[in-house]
Amino acid sequence: MSSGHHPPAARSRPVPAADLGLGVGLRSPHFAHVLSHWPEVEWFEIISENFMDSGGYPRHALDRIAERYPIVMHGVSLSVGSTDPLDFGYLDRLRRLADATRARWVSDHVCWTGVAGLNTHDLLPVPFTEESLAHVVRRVKVVQDVLERPLVLENPSTYAAFSGAAMSEWEFLARLATESGCGLLLDVNNVYVSAFNHDFDPEEYVRALPHDRVVQIHLAGHSDMGTHIVDTHDQPVAEPVWRLYELATSLTGPVPTLLEWDDHIPQFPELLAELDKARRYTAVSDAEARAESRTAVPVAMPVRCG
Amino acid sequence: MASPPALAEAQRWLQHAVLAQHPPSQPVEDMLTASSRLGAAQRLGVYRRGYRLRLLQAMRGLHPGLRALLGPELFDDFALDYLDACPSGSYTLQRLDERFAGHLAAGRPDREQPVRLRETWIDVMIDLARYERVFAEVYDGPGTEGTGIPTWTGPLESAPELLGRRVLLAPCLRVLRLCAPVHTYLAAVRRGRRPEPPAPRPVWLAVSRRDYVVTATEIASDSYQFLAALLGGAAVRVAAVEAGMDTADAVNRLRGWAANGWARGLARAQPFAVPASA
Repeated sequence: MSSGHHPPAARSRPVPAADLGLGVGLRSPHFAHVLSHWPEVEWFEIISENFMDSGGYPRHALDRIAERYPIVMHGVSLSVGSTDPLDFGYLDRLRRLADATRARWVSDHVCWTGVAGLNTHDLLPVPFTEESLAHVVRRVKVVQDVLERPLVLENPSTYAAFSGAAMSEWEFLARLATESGCGLLLDVNNVYVSAFNHDFDPEEYVRALPHDRVVQIHLAGHSDMGTHIVDTHDQPVAEPVWRLYELATSLTGPVPTLLEWDDHIPQFPELLAELDKARRYTAVSDAEARAESRTAVPVAMPVRCG
Repeated sequence: MASPPALAEAQRWLQHAVLAQHPPSQPVEDMLTASSRLGAAQRLGVYRRGYRLRLLQAMRGLHPGLRALLGPELFDDFALDYLDACPSGSYTLQRLDERFAGHLAAGRPDREQPVRLRETWIDVMIDLARYERVFAEVYDGPGTEGTGIPTWTGPLESAPELLGRRVLLAPCLRVLRLCAPVHTYLAAVRRGRRPEPPAPRPVWLAVSRRDYVVTATEIASDSYQFLAALLGGAAVRVAAVEAGMDTADAVNRLRGWAANGWARGLARAQPFAVPASA
């Protein structure tokens, strides 16, 4: 398992991404503000499923916003890890929305959401086995062919793991990216959440990823339940997650970064203020030096008794 | 180290363990690992609780009116019962409630009674669920804004020509027959008020959208029948007969609906299909 020093990633990413900067998730409570103020945010990420079938005001708002801002699509129902057949009707709608919004890329999660024709609307964990890896790699290649663009996949927060794992989550992701050609969406909050829930070192995870495959980074807030942490997207980013972000960007170089906020959504200016904090963690010019310095200041996990 | 379960088997097991009303009887430790703080069954419990809470929140968002009518606890009971009976098969949460009103109707305790003896408040509840579903479809479904679908601005064609033709209606137009004015109840809830439950009376409603704003318009019962027949694909003459209207009345109604955007024009006659030459 790699855990040593890495230089910032070379510019060989699956999709050119470094020009986007900082973005926020586009949510319906902010439509009116965005359409009337055209705020200074560099790009928006949309939840693909919220717009794929829309012929009403949400789609109208998106079309107007896409005329002025770069759009990235982020899905929650691709279910790329499922053993159900791929839904080609869904993929066709996804591709049409990507074409219409000139989406910079299309992302989803390394997960499955249901089998037997059902959708739990949860990002369920994949087993970290050779069988599972081969299955996901095969399906990612099909999805990329149908979408006619690279797919970008995110590490989800997980709260349980299948027994019999043959590899770590970060090794699974690294091999998935290498073998399928997909990009990675590194959610540093999810790394932190899963590290707590599964007793692993979040820094080891971030250091071991193939940094040249990281196309985008997600930031979000979480809720500490004592015995586990839940990825709630309902509050500011926690300090240890910011430090993990700092480590990640020192290894990846500049990567488009997005703040997710889905519950107790604040006013848009407050959202931008939280996003602006990201600049503090990416402003240092000597990325390698920062990478070295971080090795001396590990990301702290909450300490629990018993 | 235990041998990993086959992928498909593992996924079927976990989905059932998450969706089932009761935790699995098989030892969870056979399938899932523990952490230093939680056992395998407790970790499964995080998913079980998260699944119900997430979908319950979605149902609350889809049915603010019914939640106000029933109160939060009773609404949650009905919604959870529905989610257990009708798990989602859609890729979007916006269609999570597609079968909700039907589920409420199928499960009403007085369903074996003659219609005249049934509880009115249950009818109101079911009709409010139906209306909220239709409202959402009209709000976010296809409409006429920016689509190039023309407004029917010219004079209506002569009656003999018109009567044999089908009418192009706005794709966002829906008609409902309701047992109470649940549309005004929902509008009041959406404005942050706490209205009295709607008093039962027959309501025939046309729900449509203009400039991305949903409109709900009470119409006469024969207009409902006429529009319902037109929406079903009947030609004007046939629809008028079904509604018990004379043709002059039918043309007059169409004239009004052309003006308000519900009727957009006449469907063209289908051309004969000509086989392509070899």
